Amino acid sequence: MVPLVYFQILSAALFVIGLYGVLARRSAVLIVMSIELMLNAVNINLIAAAAHLGYRSVGEVFVHFDGQIIAIFIITVAAAEVGLALAIILRMYRNRATVNVDEIDLMRW
Amino acid sequence: MTWAWLIPVLSFAAAPLIVVAGRFLPGKGAFLAILAIAAGFGLFWLTLFGFLDATTATDGCARVVSAETGKESGPLTCQYETTWFYAGLPGLEDSVELTWGVLVDPVTVVMLGLVTFVALMVQIYSLGYMHGDPRFGWYYAVHALFAASMLTLVLADNFLLLYVSWELVGACSYLLIGFWHERPAAREAAKKAFVVTRIGDVGMLVGILLLWREVGSFEMSAAFEAVRSGAMGEGTVTAAALLLFLGAMGKSAQFPFHVWLPDAMEGPTPVSALIHAATMVVAGVYLVARAFPIFEASGSALLVVAVIGLVTALMSSTIALVSTDLKRILAYSTISHLGLMMLSLGAFGYTAAVFHLLAHGFAKALLFLGAGSVLHSTEEQDVRNMGGLRRVMPLTAVVFSIGALSLGGIPILSGFWSKDEILLAVSEHRNVVFLVLTLLTAFLSALYMARAMFAPFFGPLRPELEHTHDAPPSMAVPMALLAVLAVGFGFLAFNWPGEYVGFGGFVFNDKPHGFEFLIWLGAISIVMAVVAFIIGYVLYVRGAYSAQRERTSASSLARIVERKYYIDEVYQWTIDRVVLIFANFIGLFDRAVVNDLAVNGPADTVRHLGIALRVHVTGHVYSYALGMVAGTLIVAIVWWVVAT
Repeated sequence: MVPLVYFQILSAALFVIGLYGVLARRSAVLIVMSIELMLNAVNINLIAAAAHLGYRSVGEVFVHFDGQIIAIFIITVAAAEVGLALAIILRMYRNRATVNVDEIDLMRW
Repeated sequence: MTWAWLIPVLSFAAAPLIVVAGRFLPGKGAFLAILAIAAGFGLFWLTLFGFLDATTATDGCARVVSAETGKESGPLTCQYETTWFYAGLPGLEDSVELTWGVLVDPVTVVMLGLVTFVALMVQIYSLGYMHGDPRFGWYYAVHALFAASMLTLVLADNFLLLYVSWELVGACSYLLIGFWHERPAAREAAKKAFVVTRIGDVGMLVGILLLWREVGSFEMSAAFEAVRSGAMGEGTVTAAALLLFLGAMGKSAQFPFHVWLPDAMEGPTPVSALIHAATMVVAGVYLVARAFPIFEASGSALLVVAVIGLVTALMSSTIALVSTDLKRILAYSTISHLGLMMLSLGAFGYTAAVFHLLAHGFAKALLFLGAGSVLHSTEEQDVRNMGGLRRVMPLTAVVFSIGALSLGGIPILSGFWSKDEILLAVSEHRNVVFLVLTLLTAFLSALYMARAMFAPFFGPLRPELEHTHDAPPSMAVPMALLAVLAVGFGFLAFNWPGEYVGFGGFVFNDKPHGFEFLIWLGAISIVMAVVAFIIGYVLYVRGAYSAQRERTSASSLARIVERKYYIDEVYQWTIDRVVLIFANFIGLFDRAVVNDLAVNGPADTVRHLGIALRVHVTGHVYSYALGMVAGTLIVAIVWWVVAT
């Protein structure tokens, strides 16, 4: 069985890549994609932990569901969020002819 | 008597009716006011007879029961009240119940008679005097309002209602003094009267609230009961009495608040007759008489009343001697007689004060109406420019002389009897200094009355006054009726054979007493009055007195008196040097501390903070994201450090 720490390293690497994308990218579409990456990094972490804890608690029988359930929730919410975000980006593009977040700064002092 | 409240209500109803509908009615609706007050006069007689028939068995009527002896004492008092305000629940400890109602006792009854009769006479007189005035209707509306307020004041059974009507009569006085507000002097006089009386009224309000705190009720009977039973401490009683007296001093123009009354002569003369001679200015005397149980319980308060009354009487009678304006002579005479009434109250002369109040009210109203008649036809106010008017206006001369002789204390006229009662009270209860000064005041009052009577009406007729005419019937009839009372009212003082027991048997504080007359005191007062009138005749008719000569040879003492003892100047100095500087300081405090520091200070702080903080709102998504990451990292690090 693969040790838990490998999954955690993978998850952390994915999360940091996503974080970098959110901070560094200018295109709104790429920012949304980076957010998805961060969400999936969290999913990996949750499922790995759930599997690990499930095996450890009752031997060969897999009984620890909490991590999976949260992961499924996250996938659902992520889908909704992407739908909403893409709709906003579409409207933004229609109005301003750009998806560059640097140029979208109307809500400032 | 349960319907005694109707007396003021009629006039209260007439006032707005005249304002709203007066212009569509014949005579601008003046008859509404006259009808209302005439009905009030009729109801006064019903009240009087109802009261005479009443006993302690009558509904609402009772006598005070003495705590020590258990016997009934004092006059019969009938009280009818109803609750108009209730906060809390019945039986709950802190509930507030306010009542209003009427109180009928001998003083109220005689005051009702005075107010309704004089108001009726003055309103009829005004038909002639104010004829053709552009604000004729407004004049009668305010007159009706005044009559209503004054009657409420007289009937009030609690201090709150009394205070409300007290201020209402003050407001009507203000409106009527400033009735000819096109004249600057009238405007100034109205303001002065309002402000000066207000100084006293503040004290009165504090006194009423003090009684409320001590007694828990505004009702007079409750306050008197508390005083009688000793529930209030000696000091509290004195404080309450003096505070109430402060209000009385303002209203009754007692020293040093007397300055407004001479200026109030700027109003129409009938107004001076009604408000500033017979009714409103005696409200202060009435208040002290009404609250007499409180004053009586505190010897020092009563002494203050006596001293203030004496000082006022003496001071103003000297000013009346040198004043040249006919109406102002009468005004100072009014102040002097109000001082005598206060002195009488201060000397336990309760009956004498009320009796003099009535006798003076009739006589002084008569004198003012006579002066108004002179002014109306000659348009001259300065006595130095008058003379010999009895030849052209005989009726006015006769009634004016009756009033002057009556107030001067010539025997068998009513003023003689009432002044004698006051002298008697003073001689019985105060020391000899008081008596001598009172006699001196009586002498001076006869002297200035002689001057007011001889200077305009006797001597040679001035040629420029030859065209003047006597008063028209609407003015003559009220004067004649008042003259009858100025002559005959004094006879009510005696114990006539039969059922009538004399004025002292009707109006009394503790127990009824008969008419008393000290021969030596009466003789002194008669001699003094007669001598004063003879001196007056020699001075002002025989020509021993000349205004010009007096002016050139005026001593410094005479100048001080002529300038009214510089009291107006003292007021002016106080206002300029003390009140205004203090007001400027308060204004500075308001602007600098309250406004700039306390109100604008926090607002400015928040605004500058907002300006400083708003720069973080860049509008860029990545800066917000960076903020979130940095914040999360900081929280994580802190948590990690704390956890390990």
